[in-house]
Amino acid sequence: MEVKYKKNEIVFNRELSNLDKLVLKFVSVLDNEKVEYVIISGYIAILFGRSRGTEDVDLFIEEMSFARFESFWKALEKEGFECLNVSSPKEAYEEFLKDKTSIRFAEKGDFIPNFEIKFPQTKYNQYSMEHKTKVLLNDSCLNTSEIELQIAFKLNLGSDKDFEDARHLYKVFKEFLDLNLLKNQIKELDVEDEAERVLWQKD
Amino acid sequence: MAKGLKLTKADLKELEKEKERNKKQRMEFIELYAEWLKKTPNIKWSKQQKVVVEQN
Repeated sequence: MEVKYKKNEIVFNRELSNLDKLVLKFVSVLDNEKVEYVIISGYIAILFGRSRGTEDVDLFIEEMSFARFESFWKALEKEGFECLNVSSPKEAYEEFLKDKTSIRFAEKGDFIPNFEIKFPQTKYNQYSMEHKTKVLLNDSCLNTSEIELQIAFKLNLGSDKDFEDARHLYKVFKEFLDLNLLKNQIKELDVEDEAERVLWQKD
Repeated sequence: MAKGLKLTKADLKELEKEKERNKKQRMEFIELYAEWLKKTPNIKWSKQQKVVVEQN
C-alpha cells in the first residue's frame, strides 16, 4: 500500500468503489453545511483495504441547534438522500438524536448501504470527535477516527468480524502506529486480553 | 427413522474444534492479506477489493 502516514493525516490514492463514492458524496454535504463529523467503525477498515462489504457507515456528528440540523437534513434531501427511520427533522432531532438514538440515511429508494448518525454521547464518542484523522483520498477528504482508537474499539466490540477488522488495521499500519497510544487505548477500553490474542500473539 | 443430523457430544466437541481452527485460519489469512496489501500498488489491490466490496 502506497500511503503517506502522519499523525492525524493519511494521504493515499486508489481506485474507488461505489461505496467510497457514496461516502464521499455524503461527507461533502456535511462539509458544505459545516457540520463536524467523524467516521468510525467498519468503513475505516474497508477504506484501508479490508476485503468485505458493509450495510452501514457509522458517524458521529457534532451536537447542534435544531435550526442547523434542519438545514443539514434539507441539504441531504436535496442531494438525493432520505432518512430511513424518521419522517421529520423535528422528530429526528428531539426524539432520536437528543435521546441517544441514531438516525439512518440512504440514497432515495435504497435501504443499504446507509449512514448511521449519532450525536456524541459518551467519553469515547467525544474523544473520537476531538482526535480525528484527516484522510486525503484521491482529490477528496474525509475525517475518520484515530487509527489507534479504532483498533482498540474494534477489540471492545468483540465479534469475529470486529476482531478481523482490528487485526487488519493493526497489520496494515503497524509500522506507523503510536504503540504507546495504542496500548493506552487498549488498557482504557479494557481489552488487553483481546489484544494479546488478536494483535500481539504470533500465529 | 428420524431425518436429519444425529450428533453425539463428541461430534459437537469436534465441531467446536473446527470452528476454532477456522477462526485461527481466518486470522492467519488477515495477516497474509495485509502483508500482500502493503507490498502491492494501490491501483492493483483496490481494483480487486472493489469487486468484493461491490458484491454485497
